[in-house]
Amino acid sequence: MESFTHIYDAFFIVFTIPVMISMIIGTAVGIAIGALPGLSATMGIAVLIPLTFTMEPLVALGMIAGIYNGAMYGGSIPAILLRIPGTPAGIATVFDGYPMAQQGKAKLALRISLTSSSIGSAVSALALLLLAPPLAKVALQFSPANYFWLSAFGLTSIAVLLSKNPIKGLIAACLGLLIGMVGIDTMTGAERFSFDSLDLLSGINIIVLLTGLYAIPPAIELAFSSMKNIKPIAQQNEKDDDFRWSKLIPVWFKSSIIGVIAGIIPAVGGNIAALLAWNEQRRSDPDKDKYGKGAPEGVAAAECANNADTAATLIPALTLGIPGSAVAAVILGALLVHGLLPGPQLFRENAEITYGFMITMLVTSGLMYILGRFGSRAFIHILKLPASLLAPMIISLSVLGIYALHNSFFEVWLMLCFGVLGLVMERLEIPTAPTVLAVILGPMAEESLRRSILMSDGQYDVLFEGGISWILIGLIAMTSLTPVIKKMLVRFRGSRDGATIK
Amino acid sequence: MKIIKPRVGMFLKTLSLTMLCSASISAMADYPERPIKMIVAYGAGGGTDIAARTLAPYIEKYMGENVSIVIENKPGAGGEIGFTQLANSSPDGYTIGFVNTPNLITIPIQRKARYSLADFTPIGNVVDDPGAFSVSINSPIKSLGDLVSYANKNPGKLTYGTTGIGGDDHLAALAFEKQTNIKMKHIPFKGSADVRTAALGEHIDLANMNMSEAIADGQEGNLLILGQMGESRWSEAPNVPTFMEQGYDVVSGSMRGLAAPAGLPSDIQKRLEKALEQAVSDPEFVAKAKEQNLPLSYMNSNDFGATLQRLHDTYNAIWTAEPWIKG
Repeated sequence: MESFTHIYDAFFIVFTIPVMISMIIGTAVGIAIGALPGLSATMGIAVLIPLTFTMEPLVALGMIAGIYNGAMYGGSIPAILLRIPGTPAGIATVFDGYPMAQQGKAKLALRISLTSSSIGSAVSALALLLLAPPLAKVALQFSPANYFWLSAFGLTSIAVLLSKNPIKGLIAACLGLLIGMVGIDTMTGAERFSFDSLDLLSGINIIVLLTGLYAIPPAIELAFSSMKNIKPIAQQNEKDDDFRWSKLIPVWFKSSIIGVIAGIIPAVGGNIAALLAWNEQRRSDPDKDKYGKGAPEGVAAAECANNADTAATLIPALTLGIPGSAVAAVILGALLVHGLLPGPQLFRENAEITYGFMITMLVTSGLMYILGRFGSRAFIHILKLPASLLAPMIISLSVLGIYALHNSFFEVWLMLCFGVLGLVMERLEIPTAPTVLAVILGPMAEESLRRSILMSDGQYDVLFEGGISWILIGLIAMTSLTPVIKKMLVRFRGSRDGATIK
Repeated sequence: MKIIKPRVGMFLKTLSLTMLCSASISAMADYPERPIKMIVAYGAGGGTDIAARTLAPYIEKYMGENVSIVIENKPGAGGEIGFTQLANSSPDGYTIGFVNTPNLITIPIQRKARYSLADFTPIGNVVDDPGAFSVSINSPIKSLGDLVSYANKNPGKLTYGTTGIGGDDHLAALAFEKQTNIKMKHIPFKGSADVRTAALGEHIDLANMNMSEAIADGQEGNLLILGQMGESRWSEAPNVPTFMEQGYDVVSGSMRGLAAPAGLPSDIQKRLEKALEQAVSDPEFVAKAKEQNLPLSYMNSNDFGATLQRLHDTYNAIWTAEPWIKG
């Protein structure tokens, strides 16, 4: 096994002082970037690349690995404590993480998130290290029709979020689909909903929307009232030692696999991975009602899956030179700067550094756990900050982060507008999660559907060809029909035990 | 008079303090006496950005002592946001930028843009990345001749992927179709990575990507590059014949050069032009460009300007004959 000798050799260049230091710095910076609303791993790494010009390749790449892994976990911290997902991938963590914090279990939620993130990252890094070349082939199998079904599958999970008030949920999802249509249409080049504005031509960035909808409303509420639902966190229930960690093992197992597969498929990122894993966890659990109300398994599923996506995204990126996400594209840029051309030749000509980089992905998942354990004591203090300090901090950081994204003031204003929209939606009790998910998945569903129909000369049967499509159709049927069938079964059996089964 | 509650007061104070800290301090007499801003109309970490960041230190080196170039990414709208900002900056030599063809030229042709080609002073061209047609190694098509005969037998069936409507890849395909009287089916994607994925996965028949994007897969034997669209063969791909050699009059590519706003004083322009010429021929830079698969093709200000104008006329003629965006 040639790759094992490469891995063995690479260990010696990873465990050197400069690389270790850079990994520690990277991980710490990553956690901070992830935790701050508006700042993302993509931006952090993009800003870092010019600084790494003069560094040794592995020192630079170790830092990048740390930022990448750390940011994915960091996003969960404000998601749990403040209901503000630090990154788009943290949105599913809010579902159960914030309710846990409200119940006084913030510390436990942070520990679950940290442990799950570290396990997800480690599994993902191992998949990258050991199975990259065979797994890379999966990335090529996905046809436009498969992408359509995959995004449709993601969209069905929105239905799950609609349970309380379907009409309001649908309004939110339709709003998201509409926002997703803004910009130049890839398929025809036509301008849609751009109102002759130059700034709208490239569409609305998901980070701008997310930060607006999620970070601004809580900040405004914090500033003008003593946010009622945050208060109880001050009285944290610290007795979480009796928590049974073993019950999370199957959750980690399933969510890691979901995360790795989502990572390998180009264009499917951590946000979708987390959502699918959370959804699957809820679907497979007999007690569905606890999800969205502070189920530890929900936090574990979402965080494990979004971190299992990280190294897996690099599989097609490193082996085929196909960046599956914005972060992967920026990391490919960083490799290029250091003279490492992605593709199969990477593993032959630069095997030591390539395997070294993969090992840093693994090592930083461990470092993340250590730094997170120390850090979580400090993070919890965020809740003790007076609202008058916290609110302006959130707003300033959001403004800074969004400006840094593309150096665009238009986007800052847009983000603030979304903030107002978020506030209105909250007052009207319209959920915001379906909006964000529809913006991520809507354009993907539309483009892949149109691309496959275009390729088949308008024949719709292309959608029903091939195993991958049928698997996805099966999954969609399963998620959307299970509740209906269960209800019917309940009715069939009579109403005597109907109240207990839902 | 309303008394501000302490909480609101503190809110405002913290807000303004954080904002102040983040505000940048700009320095304020012979050119250049302050940093030169280089606008890159594409995102940080992308191809143009990395090329710009690799080149900038060498321009600094030849501009003289203590000259610094600050790169500012202004991505969006296919480059239009960055190009517009460059066009509207003051022509004092402190704002220069990367301009990319064909976007720089096609944007004002295909939609109402807030700049035109006349708004720029060309400084020099750096990169000219030739277009290319590639197929999966398993494809029965082995040459441009095969491609034409296959397309003749199956009109409108052969699918080709490009990085988008109105890009150099798409326009080159239109020119090729016109010359050979064939009809192919255009499948637009979001970027070259998507096109490559679709071609490697054999979801499309033909991938139209630039040489720098296809070369690695070509060398690796995953893709067969049928032809390159430069006037002559690129030194890194000496085995790939040009379209011209195969009897097709298609010359196309994506150029990246430096420009400043129109009205740049000629002494400043000369200085920048000279520094760029020296930077592009610096052996250290040439080595780095080779690592990054950048097909260097230096052109001085005059030649670059003339080429841009010629491209404009070509694309304008295509658009007038048959607009690539219907609507």
